[in-house]
Amino acid sequence: MQETLSIPSIKFAEVFSTAEGAIYQSDSENCWYIDFAGKMARFDYRNLLKLKKAVYQIDIEGLLLNSDKTADVEILFICACDHCYVLSLLQIIKLKELLQGTFTMLELNHIIYDRLHRLAC
Amino acid sequence: MKDIMRVKCLLSADIEMLINQQIKKEAHSSAIYLSMASWCNQNGYDFSSDYFFKQAEEERQHQLKFFKYVLDMGGNAVSPEITNVKGEYNSFREVFEEALDQEIAITQSIKNIAARCHKEQDYVTLEFLNWFFREQREEEYKARRALELFDVIGEEGTGRWQIDKHVGQISYDSEA
Repeated sequence: MQETLSIPSIKFAEVFSTAEGAIYQSDSENCWYIDFAGKMARFDYRNLLKLKKAVYQIDIEGLLLNSDKTADVEILFICACDHCYVLSLLQIIKLKELLQGTFTMLELNHIIYDRLHRLAC
Repeated sequence: MKDIMRVKCLLSADIEMLINQQIKKEAHSSAIYLSMASWCNQNGYDFSSDYFFKQAEEERQHQLKFFKYVLDMGGNAVSPEITNVKGEYNSFREVFEEALDQEIAITQSIKNIAARCHKEQDYVTLEFLNWFFREQREEEYKARRALELFDVIGEEGTGRWQIDKHVGQISYDSEA
């Protein structure tokens, strides 16, 4: 989690990664970079939460059971955000997994901070 | 790695969600009181109608208090959609029975948020909730006293007229 890597002058700390993608945090910019579906996209605090909400709201089970002749694609558009994703059902499952892992790690980071800061005071 | 989530917002995701649910419950409660005010007015119970108008306004203020708290702490306050507001009642007494049920449900719901705050050691929100617990003491007292008027005065003869007259006079002024 604390492993840092440097991509053109911006310092990232990897928050969580899977075989399909990774999410990095930039402390200096107060934002996250999502490396998924072939692109690296920058998300600030509000947009990351909006992305989480949008992905979690997708009824994956409903889409799996849907036998209509519709395209197996979901468009994730987030208001006031520069990026949008056009993902297949499998990619949505992978992105959800990535986000779940990320938010668990952020929660863990919060718990560590909370305990350390309170004990240090 | 910085704890950006905490820098941006004091509330945890769970507490924020619970308070947003509470905002919806307060809004629903306000809508129900308005509906009760309408029913009482149409059936000639003017004082009770005024009483429920006031209650509707109070619940609205509670909703806004929660709403502003979420925003002040850096969270996302959600303006709720209100559906399922009952418009018809079988009797004068039933209105007050439901009003008390409503207040009890609200108290329980706030207790539930407080329990979560204890678990997460969110003492800031816990302290904020104290105002609501004090408020609920008054709300439940008033609703209970109003319902007791039905037993004390009785509904026979001009009973309902008497009850209606007394409902507006119920007040809670305990300093405890």
